[in-house]
Amino acid sequence: MAKKVLNVEDDPDIRTFVTTVLEENGYIPIMAKDGEEGTKKVKQEKPDLIILDILMPKESGIKMYHELKRDPSHKDIPVVMLSGVSKRTFLRSQVALTEFGDETVPEPEAYLEKPVEAEDLAEILKKILG
Amino acid sequence: MTGNEKRIKMSKLLIIDDEEGIRKVLSLSLASDGYEVSTAAGGEEGIEIFKKESPSIILTDIKMPGMDGIEVLKRVKESNPDAEVIMITGHGDMDLAIEALKLDASDFLNKPVKDEALSVALKRAEQRIAIREKLKAYTDDLENMVSIATEEVKRRSEFQNKLITSSNDGIVATDEEGTVVIYNKGAEEIFGYLRSEIIRKMSIYKLYPPAIVSEFRVGLEKRGDVDLSNWREVSIVTKGGEDVPTRFSGSILYGDGEVVGSVGFFQDLREIKRLQEELIKSERLAATGQTVAGLAHYIKNILNGLKGGTYVLNVALDRKNTDKIKSGWSMIERNVTRISDLVLDLLAYSKDRRPERENCFPNEIIQEVCTLMEAKARDNDIEIEKNLDPLVGEMFLDSKALHRSLLNLVSNAIDACIFDSTAKKKWQVTVSTAIEKNNIIRFEVADNGTGMDTETKEKIFSSLFSTKGERGTGLGLLVTEKIIKENGGEITVESQPGKGTTFTVYLPYQEVQKSATIS
Repeated sequence: MAKKVLNVEDDPDIRTFVTTVLEENGYIPIMAKDGEEGTKKVKQEKPDLIILDILMPKESGIKMYHELKRDPSHKDIPVVMLSGVSKRTFLRSQVALTEFGDETVPEPEAYLEKPVEAEDLAEILKKILG
Repeated sequence: MTGNEKRIKMSKLLIIDDEEGIRKVLSLSLASDGYEVSTAAGGEEGIEIFKKESPSIILTDIKMPGMDGIEVLKRVKESNPDAEVIMITGHGDMDLAIEALKLDASDFLNKPVKDEALSVALKRAEQRIAIREKLKAYTDDLENMVSIATEEVKRRSEFQNKLITSSNDGIVATDEEGTVVIYNKGAEEIFGYLRSEIIRKMSIYKLYPPAIVSEFRVGLEKRGDVDLSNWREVSIVTKGGEDVPTRFSGSILYGDGEVVGSVGFFQDLREIKRLQEELIKSERLAATGQTVAGLAHYIKNILNGLKGGTYVLNVALDRKNTDKIKSGWSMIERNVTRISDLVLDLLAYSKDRRPERENCFPNEIIQEVCTLMEAKARDNDIEIEKNLDPLVGEMFLDSKALHRSLLNLVSNAIDACIFDSTAKKKWQVTVSTAIEKNNIIRFEVADNGTGMDTETKEKIFSSLFSTKGERGTGLGLLVTEKIIKENGGEITVESQPGKGTTFTVYLPYQEVQKSATIS
């Protein structure tokens, strides 16, 4: 059975792009346009992998990732970050959240900086999902 | 030695007498007194010696055979009026003595010549010589001083002349009628008229701009006190009709309490104005350069979108999926629009643009802008409200500039709502128009989005600064401010974090032009 991949992304262009890459590689794309909608879709659809943007209106990827990884029922879903923000900045933001008393969370399974080539994205997905 | 020479020279004597005895006695006694004595036995010989030796004192007998004393006196005085001639007179020479007096003889000695009388006469003669010499020295000195003073006056006048002619400032002076009498090279360059066309030919009432003419007129016609001394900016219209910005100061000239003329000083500000404009331009270019990195990031995003678009389009074409062709194509279109907007913004920011005014309906332009932004607003649950003053009719203004500024402001307002993380807020962007006094139209774009703190508010117009991360170039507001200023308008901002932001634009407009040509 084809695996479900959730893409949380506010830029419609990137949603279209990711959708196409997913379809071309035999995955079922599910789309959410911000962190709030993304969290909802995680519960509803139980995706096999999440491709997550960082800078989004309403709820950011930083917060969504942190909550996802602390939720026992969702913490094992692999996450691929896809953002214009550098990996170092993202990791620092996660450390910063622990300073407010939150527990530490593991690093994401993969970190892709925009722009990403269709082949590179497909390769990462294949490596994680098999 | 020098002293002796002087004394000898000072005391050269010539004794003319036909009686050898007298010559001998006198010359012996005088030589022993230290005088250098020459003698002559008659008038002719005396004159010859006088011409050769130029003695300062001559003692001559009045009655002599051949040339007599009177004739000697005449000739001596002719050739040197300063020579001291002492006449030696005998009994019965009274008539001759009187004639000698008339001829300016210095003194008389009666025969037989007594030593005492002789020395008194000589002393007097020497005193007169000394006084004359002193007087001459004074006169020479005085003449010298007068010539030095004259030279100085001449030098000063020449200096002032040079100062006036070589001054970079335009200097124009007039007589009490207002007719130009001084008009230097600097003035030629500012006014465009040649000296030959102006000096004693033109009145400043014709030359100067009306703004200062009236003041000069009041001053020159003694109708009141005018103070022209404070430097002020005055625009001069040249002979060729060109406007020249100048700094001006002037004065009414008085002599003995009477008006004698006027003077005006003009500094050409063309170069300064040009440099100021260049400075502003170069500062702007520098600001552009500083954020090339930021722009590169933004451009990278656009390229990313284009690349993604071509990927989607290729896949769609392979699969013959019409829906996907559409979405891939619209991705490309959107990004082409983004990049062309960016290029337009950059051009608008780095280049000077003259307002292109035309007849247009500002309220309609707002409708267009709102329609363009409608989809984006709806997608993000934002309501756009229009509050347009029906009194805003057709106007003559730069419609393109207005469109661009309002589009930037409305787009920013929507972004401010999108990035507001307050839950369950009813986001709203309000666009309003109103007519203000003095042919000014007011536009207001208000949102209830994120708002800005003071620090952010200070930065928005001063640099390529963006709060939108990779989504913004920071150019939008700078371009907006620049084009509004180019149109003589003004833009202000009010903002409170968490409450929202209001941008207000004041734009001067003109009444509808009948023959709608570009001004």
